[in-house]
Amino acid sequence: MVEGLTGSLAQLSLADILKMLAAGSQTGRIELSSGLDRGELYLENGNVVHADASGVFGERAFTRLLSWPNGAFRFEAHIPAPETTIDKPLDRLFAESARHASEREAIRKVIPSMSAVPKLAKQSPAPTVTIEAHEWQIIALVDGQASITEIADVLGREEFEILKQLYRLKTTGLIELTFAQPVAAPQRVVAGAQFFAFLTTAVAAAMGPLAEIVIDDALDALGLTRATMPRDATAALAERISADIRDENKRVRFQQTMLAAIRNQAAA
Amino acid sequence: MERGLAQLGATPHVGGAFVCDNKGEVIVSSDPAVLATVTMSTIGREVGRAFIALEAAGRAAIRMELVYDTWRLFAHDISDAVVFVVCQPAADMAMVRMTVDVVVAGWRKDGDAQKRLARHKAVRRELVNRSELDNGAWLTWSMLESRG
Repeated sequence: MVEGLTGSLAQLSLADILKMLAAGSQTGRIELSSGLDRGELYLENGNVVHADASGVFGERAFTRLLSWPNGAFRFEAHIPAPETTIDKPLDRLFAESARHASEREAIRKVIPSMSAVPKLAKQSPAPTVTIEAHEWQIIALVDGQASITEIADVLGREEFEILKQLYRLKTTGLIELTFAQPVAAPQRVVAGAQFFAFLTTAVAAAMGPLAEIVIDDALDALGLTRATMPRDATAALAERISADIRDENKRVRFQQTMLAAIRNQAAA
Repeated sequence: MERGLAQLGATPHVGGAFVCDNKGEVIVSSDPAVLATVTMSTIGREVGRAFIALEAAGRAAIRMELVYDTWRLFAHDISDAVVFVVCQPAADMAMVRMTVDVVVAGWRKDGDAQKRLARHKAVRRELVNRSELDNGAWLTWSMLESRG
């Protein structure tokens, strides 16, 4: 009898756990957690009869839980399911989940991000186009401005359902997708020669004539150079250097000097 | 000690600071207090125990940084007490750590600060006992201690 079985999904996948419990015709509950996500699966004589993935139930929840690559699980025997939301044998559930996963992968290749913005194609892909009623709901919201996430929110439908329909509309040539350009990171201000002249004096006061070498070593360790070191990394550099100052009084004096300099630099 | 905390509070993106003894009693806090006294006290007690647990596990540390979505908590162990700094995520932690070093060094030379800290002296390890901990914490502690 398997009781109080616990472990990590990274070491033992949910599929393997289920196969093992099914082979033993177990009844009970598997509690799952992955980060902030929680889930539960209930078995009755080795068959999965109920799945709950943070408020999503049934087969959708089962598929979602099966896709967790890591997390923790705990099986407790003899806990009955609060309700029945699944009535398929385990083999069929696995097969459908696998189909679902490959469908997701195919969609992901065409629509890699929910932030993509769909817009109607300028030209019809064929002389006659058939559009299903549920697709029309999406087309009505395609304005070249709203992202897929926003469309899914307005329709209040599962993101995957919207993605499936957009996938069909995209592959039939009815819509095009645009992707937001990544925002260029603001250029970081470099610390500059004046800062290094000041730093050299401060390090020399604490550590003697090897100041230049100490500074270059610390820069190296941080993966920076004098030319590229950004101003917002000056505290990290000073802290790194201070760790090498053995004399406590000198170390504290160096830290005080550098903190004052960094504050002045920020205020300038 | 208040001046030291004011110095910490003047660091960009720092909300405030406080010092708790090993029992969790707040010795001094920035004005206005950055958290409710009961919260500071709980943090002080738990983080103090975490420092002992780390020591018992052979991984002694004097600093700890807890990062949350909207804030960070920096803890610096000064053996009779722990200095806590409550920061926003944007805080330059190198600057915070150096400022704490400078402030703590100042307290070591400050007779008044030493007297105040001495009044709160308590052997931290003695505070970790069966009656102070719940079952889970006690089991974890016993396991760590036996391995240490």
